[in-house]
Amino acid sequence: MTRRAVATLGIVGALTGIVAGKSLLRFDGEAMREILRAERAQNRVEWPRDNPPRPLPARPVTVPSYELRKLANGMQVVLVSQNEQPAISVRMIVRAGAAHDPKGKYGLAMMAATLLDQGAGTRTAEQIAEEIDFIGGALNTGAGTDLSYVNAVVMKDSYEIALRLMSDVVQRPTFAPEEIERQRNQALSALKVSAEAPESVADRVIDRLIYGFHPYGMPGAGTAESLAALTRADLVEYHQRYFVPNNALIAVVGDITPAEAMAGLEKYFGAWKPGEVPALNVTEPPDATRRVVVIDKKDAVQTEIRVGHIAIPRKHNDYEAVDQAVKILGGEGANRLQQVLRSQKQLTYGASADLDTFKWAGAVIAETDTQTANTAEALRVVVDEFTRLQRERVGNGELEGAQDYMVGHFPLTIEVPDQIATQVLNQLFYELPVEELPRYRERILKVTPDELQRVARWFIRPSQLSIVLVGNADRFVGDLKGVGFGSFERIPIEGIDLLAPDFVKRSGPR
Amino acid sequence: MKKLTVLLLALMAVAVVVQYVPLQAAIRPPKLEYQRLVLPNGLVVILHQDKSTPIVHVELWYHVGSKNEKPGRTGFAHFFEHLMFKGSRNVEPEQHTSIIASVGGQANAYTNEDTTVFWQTLPAQYLPLVMWMEADRMASLRIDEKTFVAEREVVKEERRMRIENPPFGLLNELITFHAFDVHPYKHPVIGSMNDLNAATIDDVRDFYKTYYVPENATLMVVGDFDVDTVTSLVNQYFARVPKADKPVPRDIPQEPPHTKEKRVALEQPWPLPAVVVAYHVPYNGHPDSYPMFVMSKTLSDGQTSRIYRKLVYETGLALTAFGSSSFLEQPGIFSAVALVNPGKSADDVEKGLIAEFDKLKTQGITERELQRAKNQFSRDYIVSRLSIKEKASQLGHAEVIQKDIASADGEFDTFLKVSLDDVKRVAQKYFVAEGRLVMRINPRGGVEQ
Repeated sequence: MTRRAVATLGIVGALTGIVAGKSLLRFDGEAMREILRAERAQNRVEWPRDNPPRPLPARPVTVPSYELRKLANGMQVVLVSQNEQPAISVRMIVRAGAAHDPKGKYGLAMMAATLLDQGAGTRTAEQIAEEIDFIGGALNTGAGTDLSYVNAVVMKDSYEIALRLMSDVVQRPTFAPEEIERQRNQALSALKVSAEAPESVADRVIDRLIYGFHPYGMPGAGTAESLAALTRADLVEYHQRYFVPNNALIAVVGDITPAEAMAGLEKYFGAWKPGEVPALNVTEPPDATRRVVVIDKKDAVQTEIRVGHIAIPRKHNDYEAVDQAVKILGGEGANRLQQVLRSQKQLTYGASADLDTFKWAGAVIAETDTQTANTAEALRVVVDEFTRLQRERVGNGELEGAQDYMVGHFPLTIEVPDQIATQVLNQLFYELPVEELPRYRERILKVTPDELQRVARWFIRPSQLSIVLVGNADRFVGDLKGVGFGSFERIPIEGIDLLAPDFVKRSGPR
Repeated sequence: MKKLTVLLLALMAVAVVVQYVPLQAAIRPPKLEYQRLVLPNGLVVILHQDKSTPIVHVELWYHVGSKNEKPGRTGFAHFFEHLMFKGSRNVEPEQHTSIIASVGGQANAYTNEDTTVFWQTLPAQYLPLVMWMEADRMASLRIDEKTFVAEREVVKEERRMRIENPPFGLLNELITFHAFDVHPYKHPVIGSMNDLNAATIDDVRDFYKTYYVPENATLMVVGDFDVDTVTSLVNQYFARVPKADKPVPRDIPQEPPHTKEKRVALEQPWPLPAVVVAYHVPYNGHPDSYPMFVMSKTLSDGQTSRIYRKLVYETGLALTAFGSSSFLEQPGIFSAVALVNPGKSADDVEKGLIAEFDKLKTQGITERELQRAKNQFSRDYIVSRLSIKEKASQLGHAEVIQKDIASADGEFDTFLKVSLDDVKRVAQKYFVAEGRLVMRINPRGGVEQ
């Protein structure tokens, strides 16, 4: 035990009440030793009162180097060379996703992406799986809102195998009828499971509420009817239209030199023919309108809560300020929702708010879940936090806290080479200046409380919120009026139609 | 100031006699270098330097998990993980995470059957801060009735969110409950809410004094630091944590051998029927666990795995089918689960799953499947040690669960030596009908055709 520990012990004891409110300073040496012995037996006495230690000198943060290239056919290339582990990852992005589903053909981008590796070039689905599994590699394909992806991870001696498979998968998918049927059945079964999962139902309904019939409001996983109607011709046409090199980005990351990486890309993607990509005609999403939808699930023990409204696309002059405002509401390093809902009121395990920013539009969406009986109270808290953010100026300290987190956190986001590649790909995908990446500190710190207040005033709309509650409705709808949400629509979970303006499924063909 | 005992462990000898010549040599990942220190109070400290980015990861493993819980007190280890964020002598309640976040770091914790792990990743210059905070809560946690009662409500919400509300959320809980008769792996980590309601503040204090002691803890520091600095920080903050006044209890009831197949039929409000076939498997690090691991790869890793191919791809009997092996500190289970596709027969699915296990006993696996499993293992091994967090996790697992830090590297070679005969022998030993659990879980209200 250090001398300092003895000196501070009495004060601490008095402050924390651990020594029953008695200040040790009043006792003589013998009495003090007596108490120390008693407390030592309890195993916690000798612990000193300290201030947090000072940080060590900071080392500079440098963004690891990467190279940008382009093939003659227009494919954009990102190279990150790093040899700590003998592995290589190849990530490809094609600029087409669920938003590109033609009207009525919902699920097309998802199905096309899923089918890419289910037969391509001269190989069947089984042969592709066998080849990649055998070398201990991994190959994944999928579609998001704005994009589709194909990722491969292989050991360094299998780079060529990865590229050969990827080039077939991306350029020459078979779309074999029996594989289409298999994937269609899988997608239909998956839809059936997710239609009963409160989280995914809540997510789908809030997207439809916020984006309306804009492509971002439509079900990217499809509907039973749309999936059943998709044809091979739809898949082939979609693939031909969007899967061209001038609509694609690729990153090669890991234990390989830039020269070797480029040689492989030239060999397997150099002959891929560019094509004209039709522009997507996207209408504006609707204005924010207050609307409350209750989805009734009788056996739910919790209510899934979603609250949000339309916001901004990724490429927007106010992006930084809006992003920070949403972080204050419910993001990492700040999160008022978590403080109130979990720490103060124990109403939930977790609460957060996200700024989803896509190519053409975006939304702010708060989410939490709570025990059925607390639904109305939790909803009120979430809505009040939107109001507070819009009306009250965020204090200097709170904003600095959020910014300190973001600045300090940056090096954690460039630790492994895949993270660096992802950040560069993101900048390229959203057509943002790549040279901005290392200037993260300036970008974050330039937002002031005034700036934050300015954007919060116009973009936060507490009286025009879309609200979705998925839970056992009988047990909480009676409380909604008392918290200011007396008018709402109520739909049983088994009777949802995401394509109907009022969400109500009607019998007969649509 | 007390002196540290610094033991620089020699790494595994490089020359390993390879009994089996692979079709294609697996790429050898670089060795994970480390230093291992033991403080006089029993705390084990493991250091691994990685200066590629100026960040550091600090992880504290307490060797206590749900298997240490007494009957009637399930869920306690996990609940206690929450209480560790409720303040200590120098850190206010709920401040641990926000102090770490205020410098850009991340902090969280998790509990499983065997351990409770607290971790933080943050800019390297804040290493003193995090060492100070972790030592503070090891030595001087505040435990009061009010936070205890309040936090219990949060855990109840966590259980509702993770387990009770989502379809199939209860699946794992049902499997372990029926697979074990005696061993505490029977009970879910999150525990029963009745048990948590019954817990008293004295239980909490006793748990802290028993398990949250230096000799039951392992501190991992991985990332950008100087060894001298970290050594002096360990001395300054952790060496002063008092030694435990009693040994950590290790009296965990063991599962007796099973002698008869167990069949269970249940109903749950799930959209599709589920079929489960489970067998008991050896502990993590047992010589038989490596061939068992090969079989788990062959049965269930990737689209070419046997269970997926047979039940999903070839016959279309199942929407999804997978195997899941819990290689824990003590013997666990290997379970295969299939969700029956609408219109298909659960009997056929059950037969199909059992047939895959039986085939391993009679025919073993092919040389190509063995090589594939090794290549997949090698990939998992390599891609699970890219970040400092992953490296800490590998080192912690080797030290605490395998009780041999050298296994963090040595296991790679052990694995590459697994032979076709090993696989068949281990399949015959463990995939026996007497030890099997077969569960049929139907949607409440009948199967929709």
